[in-house]
Amino acid sequence: MSHGKIAIIGIGEVPTRIMPERTRWDILYDVCMEAIKDSGLHKNDIEGVITTAPQAQPVIASELSFGKLPEELGLKGCKDNCICNAGGAGTSNCLRLAEQYITSGVAKAVLIPHVTVHSDIPIEDTINFFARAGVDMQWEYPFGSTYNLIMGLMANRFMHESGCTPEEMASVVTALRSWAAKDPNSLFYGKEVPTVEKVLSSSMLNTPLHKRESNMLADGGSAMIVVSAEDAKKMGRPAAYKLGESVRYFSGTPVVRDIRVVQEGLRITAEEALSQAGITKEDINLWNCYLAYPLGHPMMAEMLGVAPKGEGGKYFLDGRMSFGGDIPWSTIGDAPGRGHTGSGVSAATYVETARQLMGKAGERQVKNCRYVYQNTSGGSGFNNIATIWGGQL
Amino acid sequence: MDMTKPIPLTQPWTEAFWEGTKHRKLLIQHCRDCNSNIFYPRKFCPECWSENLDWIQASGKGTVHSFSTAYDMVEPRFMEDLPYTLAYVDLDEGIRMATRIVDCEPEEIEIGKRVEVTFHKLNDDFYLPYFKLI
Repeated sequence: MSHGKIAIIGIGEVPTRIMPERTRWDILYDVCMEAIKDSGLHKNDIEGVITTAPQAQPVIASELSFGKLPEELGLKGCKDNCICNAGGAGTSNCLRLAEQYITSGVAKAVLIPHVTVHSDIPIEDTINFFARAGVDMQWEYPFGSTYNLIMGLMANRFMHESGCTPEEMASVVTALRSWAAKDPNSLFYGKEVPTVEKVLSSSMLNTPLHKRESNMLADGGSAMIVVSAEDAKKMGRPAAYKLGESVRYFSGTPVVRDIRVVQEGLRITAEEALSQAGITKEDINLWNCYLAYPLGHPMMAEMLGVAPKGEGGKYFLDGRMSFGGDIPWSTIGDAPGRGHTGSGVSAATYVETARQLMGKAGERQVKNCRYVYQNTSGGSGFNNIATIWGGQL
Repeated sequence: MDMTKPIPLTQPWTEAFWEGTKHRKLLIQHCRDCNSNIFYPRKFCPECWSENLDWIQASGKGTVHSFSTAYDMVEPRFMEDLPYTLAYVDLDEGIRMATRIVDCEPEEIEIGKRVEVTFHKLNDDFYLPYFKLI
């Protein structure tokens, strides 16, 4: 068994919505206070604050970078503050840095918050940001590249190689939205789950990506409290222990990112993280995958060995990854189900990992959830960070 | 709103590439020491860190590795181009580049089809290497 060094002992989150009247600081107050209360600690026990960098929001990013949050919340015991930016992989790095704070003695308890408000950003600025982020400004952007197109290029190649059909791809949306419909923090909570036919009948944004296979930008925020694994155990409260981690870097520029290298990276990082945790993939109760777009999920299922090669899409079409299926998968519905909050979706996925292991996931609770696989990835997919979390040390 | 088309954000060591496109030449950076063909051009060879770099002229022919045709949700400055097809093309010289496939219906484009370069004038300083089906 792995000897994990840190554990998440408190979580807080606001519902993902499109609400420009809800300010960034309003969200930060709510998620941070909820997470601290959930941990059982006092606000002055928080000795470190490490924030997942908000994307395309320079004012709040600057305020958080330069130390406003501990002052705003009155965290009198805070010894240091910073933010961490690796796009969707940012929160994974916040957790790594929290481990460093804790093991080096900087802090005994670390607060990791995130906030994003898209709805007050002019739409042309948002489109412009997502057209440039993770895309090379010399070799891709002048040709009219966008995030959607990068995903389309990857999906078309995967479908060509694997035989994955448009119906199977569309069924990923159905699966993710089936979880989202049961998640009070989702933009699509209580909403109709679109059928495969409905997904495929939505307009084509760029081949093979239909409108319903893209993401809806939204506002949200979440927070976690992290302490040492030993302290978490002593506290005797529900906790999520980090048991294993592995990572591979691919490339910053999508055109030089070979799909076979990515596939091998997804496979090997899972294998190494599981090995570090001292468990096998058969022990995993929840595959909490973060891929931002539905199109990567069948490939991920195959590379993790959850589905046989060539059958990742079929598994989704058969409903096996849907709410009620036999393979619990991305139980907040990833970005297509949750609503896209920039780097916040991966933060929310960690909160969900902890929520499931703490037994607090309500209708979506995975039975006897002992071990969770969670990945994150940054930019347009420059890396993959695989982690294993357990309900006990 | 700025509706002008973006120009490539160059580096001193990539300017020869763009100068070549002005003369309808598709140049590939080449390392004289380890014999690598390099894309995109770097200050030093990414394989061996040699600065003994040169340029070779590509045949201009390649194969479609992947593509995606855009119909909506692109930046306003690209809206007038819709629909357009972004592609990754594997050049015969062993490098892969992002480009557009032009002068055909989107339905004609398939992975594995052969293509050849054609140059699209952006302004007097920049010609983008696009590709068309052979």
